[in-house]
Amino acid sequence: MHDRSGWRRWLGIELVLTLLLCMELGIFSRTATNFWTAQNFFEVLRLSVEIGLLAVAMTPVILTGGIDLSVGSLLGLCAICFGKLWRDAGLPPLVAGIATIGLGVGLGSLNGVLVTRLRLPPLIVTLGSFSLFRGFAEAITKGVDNFTNFPASFLFLGQGYLFGVIPAQLPVFMLVALAVWLLVHRTVIGRGLRAMGYSPEGALYAGLPVSSRLMWVYGLAGGVSALSALVYVAHVGQAKADAGTGYELLAITAVVLGGTSIFGGKGSVHGTLLGLAVLVVMKNGLILSDQPGELVGIVTGVLLLTVLSGELLMKFLSRKSEVRRRERLLKTR
Amino acid sequence: MGLWLAAPDFFKARQLLSLATATSPVLVAAMGVSMVILCRQIDISIGSQFALCSVFVGLAAQRGGGPGELLALAMGVGGLMGAVNGALVAGVGLPSIVVTLATMVTWRESLRWWREGEFVRDLPETFQWFGAAQSSGQWMVIGAGVSVLGGMVWFTQFCSGGRFIYAVGSDPEAARLAGIRPRMVTFLVFVAAGAFTGLAASLNAVRFTDVDPKTGTGLEMQAIAAVVVGGVAVSGGRGRVLGVFAGVLLLACIGPGLVFLNLPPQWERAIQGGIILLAVASDGFSARTGHRNAISGGKHHA
Amino acid sequence: MRLMRLMNKMKENCFRVCFAGCLVTWALVTGCNKPPENATNGSGSKSITVALMPKSKGNAYFISCRKGAEEAAKELGVKILWDGPTEPDPAKQNEIVETWITRGVDVIAVAAENRAGISTALRKARGKGIKVVTWDSDAEPDARDFLVNQATPEGIGKSLVEEAAKAMNGRGEFAIITASLTAANMNEWQKQIELTRAAKFPELKMVALRPCDDLKDKAFNEATALLNAHANLKLIMAICSPAVPGASEAVKQSGRKDVKVVGLGLPNDNRRYVKEGITPSVILWNTVDLGYLTVRACHALATGELKAGATKFSGGRLGALEIKGDNILLGQPFVFTRENIDRFDF
Repeated sequence: MHDRSGWRRWLGIELVLTLLLCMELGIFSRTATNFWTAQNFFEVLRLSVEIGLLAVAMTPVILTGGIDLSVGSLLGLCAICFGKLWRDAGLPPLVAGIATIGLGVGLGSLNGVLVTRLRLPPLIVTLGSFSLFRGFAEAITKGVDNFTNFPASFLFLGQGYLFGVIPAQLPVFMLVALAVWLLVHRTVIGRGLRAMGYSPEGALYAGLPVSSRLMWVYGLAGGVSALSALVYVAHVGQAKADAGTGYELLAITAVVLGGTSIFGGKGSVHGTLLGLAVLVVMKNGLILSDQPGELVGIVTGVLLLTVLSGELLMKFLSRKSEVRRRERLLKTR
Repeated sequence: MGLWLAAPDFFKARQLLSLATATSPVLVAAMGVSMVILCRQIDISIGSQFALCSVFVGLAAQRGGGPGELLALAMGVGGLMGAVNGALVAGVGLPSIVVTLATMVTWRESLRWWREGEFVRDLPETFQWFGAAQSSGQWMVIGAGVSVLGGMVWFTQFCSGGRFIYAVGSDPEAARLAGIRPRMVTFLVFVAAGAFTGLAASLNAVRFTDVDPKTGTGLEMQAIAAVVVGGVAVSGGRGRVLGVFAGVLLLACIGPGLVFLNLPPQWERAIQGGIILLAVASDGFSARTGHRNAISGGKHHA
Repeated sequence: MRLMRLMNKMKENCFRVCFAGCLVTWALVTGCNKPPENATNGSGSKSITVALMPKSKGNAYFISCRKGAEEAAKELGVKILWDGPTEPDPAKQNEIVETWITRGVDVIAVAAENRAGISTALRKARGKGIKVVTWDSDAEPDARDFLVNQATPEGIGKSLVEEAAKAMNGRGEFAIITASLTAANMNEWQKQIELTRAAKFPELKMVALRPCDDLKDKAFNEATALLNAHANLKLIMAICSPAVPGASEAVKQSGRKDVKVVGLGLPNDNRRYVKEGITPSVILWNTVDLGYLTVRACHALATGELKAGATKFSGGRLGALEIKGDNILLGQPFVFTRENIDRFDF
């Protein structure tokens, strides 16, 4: 547990990110056109759902000290399979969607099996499945096949608005985020995940079923990727083998920016959400300020480095002043 | 590898020669990455470094730089970018995967902003193959690749510097107690990886008559995959340079192999992923050691 | 211990208050803000904003288009926004278009990476009163007002096969190098190439199709493997612009005089090979003119000069151009050969 007191308890990544977010809001409200509008507020949220889902599901994976590079490719594969099930197998979208999520869980668990049974590093396993899933998506469609003309009732998930203002995919995202938040922060399982991140051996000796928990975490990531695929298909209105290319890095960026340690053990779902917010607001604001898209990437990279260095610096400072405080206490005693 | 027996043409001298020429730069880049991974770090920014170095080489050649200057420039620029990574990882103490993720995006997007994707054209005649004829130029590139390989084998097996990398990769704390400075080693490894990438970029650039600023896209994945298939443990401290060489060769053969076997290109990526998984899975089966499955763990938690 | 937990809780609460504060401020300010700036039907006094999107940034083809677009913008006093995804990706194109809708622009002109993928966002833009033009490659017809059509897929496919047949004397094996297996327009071209081949040149035989990821270096490697694997290969057809110089260089280095390259590429990238005779011809339209015409059309659409059903359009320095249905035609694809390539610089 972090031992901080007084003003020092404010020194966290959350504070840094919140300040950053406020700064972005301040800057963009001056430079960007139509930035401060309710429409834009919901638009920003709407456009961040796919990445957001992936980032939220990635958080528990990284908390266990793992990583999942395959989520973007899995999104592509699931999108294709959904299209295939709906168009060629003639299933109604609901059934096809459920089957797709099942498939996502299955393929995610495949990562889990390789990680736990063969004791391979997650980075390598998911690097392999990153190619494998995308390859299957391309092979199934021969790269050419493109699924379109989905029924309007399904497209509503990605394009519709509840009560005319709230994007339809937002409640889905909020539900998933809440569920994962509860899982990570309010259950024994979530605490076990952190324990595994700190030390897998320690967790094992403490009686945690490390292997099966890991399986579940990767399965969850797969399932949520499949859900994200459904939202993606409904949003863009088509399913093609290149769906979700590069999304894994965006999701990891959001998670890491949100203060989750890449080595596992430390991190939070709300941190991820804040990190995501900082990224998407920046992107939206830069476009609305008529800045070129390359700047988004550059600023993302610089932000990532500054925020994390800043956090390290703060920790260092707070540890230093903590030591000084203790010394003073000892003297007075 | 027996797969290629189905296509005897594959082993014709000309194909092997061109394959070797094309693979040499990748090999050099993979050498740099393998050092980083042996040191228990990772570098996913080399693709972007590669592109940036290539463009610098092209621009310098336009201004009339000679071969020596070009090589020095590329390695200098690469080393500088490696030093940025190294300083952030070893100096500040940030995780390498995050640092290099950030620098990857930053370099790539800056380059795109700056050059807007335009080729560096109208290079002098003396640029291609360093001004030599094509056949000798090809052998020059291959020779450079092989000598880097040889140098690396010698360095990692017989030099104390190379052994330091293994030591730091196995356990930084133990290495420190043994009198090695792990941070310095880590920093230098990143600098070296950058310089190797620069060398690879210039070896690649001289194969052509102009420079595509998008070059090197995906090189980091190629190199990491080759290193891992070659049996280097991502948890650091374990693996051999010759294994990496085999890994580079194996992966480089997939694409042309498919052409020779007349298989549909749609399967290329799936096969690539399958090979990576198979290779590491068999490695996992054979060496079921109790190694901790940490990803690129630089430092343990405080 | 209890104290510590309490503090942690407090910290979390503070953070929550902070976050909620952020949201509330946004909500408040949005509430008091005036409604979004609407797209004006430019009366001439107010400057018109045209948002132009290439398929992807960092592609030499689109850079030359941008030159023309900026030339037209200067002539007409139009403000241009030029942005696009860094990789050709329909979802990212969508995202930028939707952000432009929020921003409020007068005209959106998109080179669609994917027909169905972009149309949703474009329909939404039209619903908000923004004029929509597609250029370079089309979206669904009901998602845009006009298409600036530089060449139809049929025209491209036909010219490519005809040039190929000319270089191969009407018979033999050829291979295609494409950008990626998923690129929509390239798949469309391949279909047209196959149709023309089957109808007019049945003695041509396609033996392989390889992707090069839009990278010149990879195109070189693919072409080298093709040359070595197919001894009877007589021609490589490169249908994405970086692939043409890549394939030509591969042919040059292989020393094979019996293999030629044709393809879609920019004259500047290929001048060297066209002159050496490795590439007898490169096919493309004038990309600078394409950008120029697109901005001209956008301006005319915003000011009301150009309306649905028009048959003629005055394209500034390009003179009067024909409109066929809702397609503004730039002309036929142009064949760059050794004789004429020096007249072009883009």
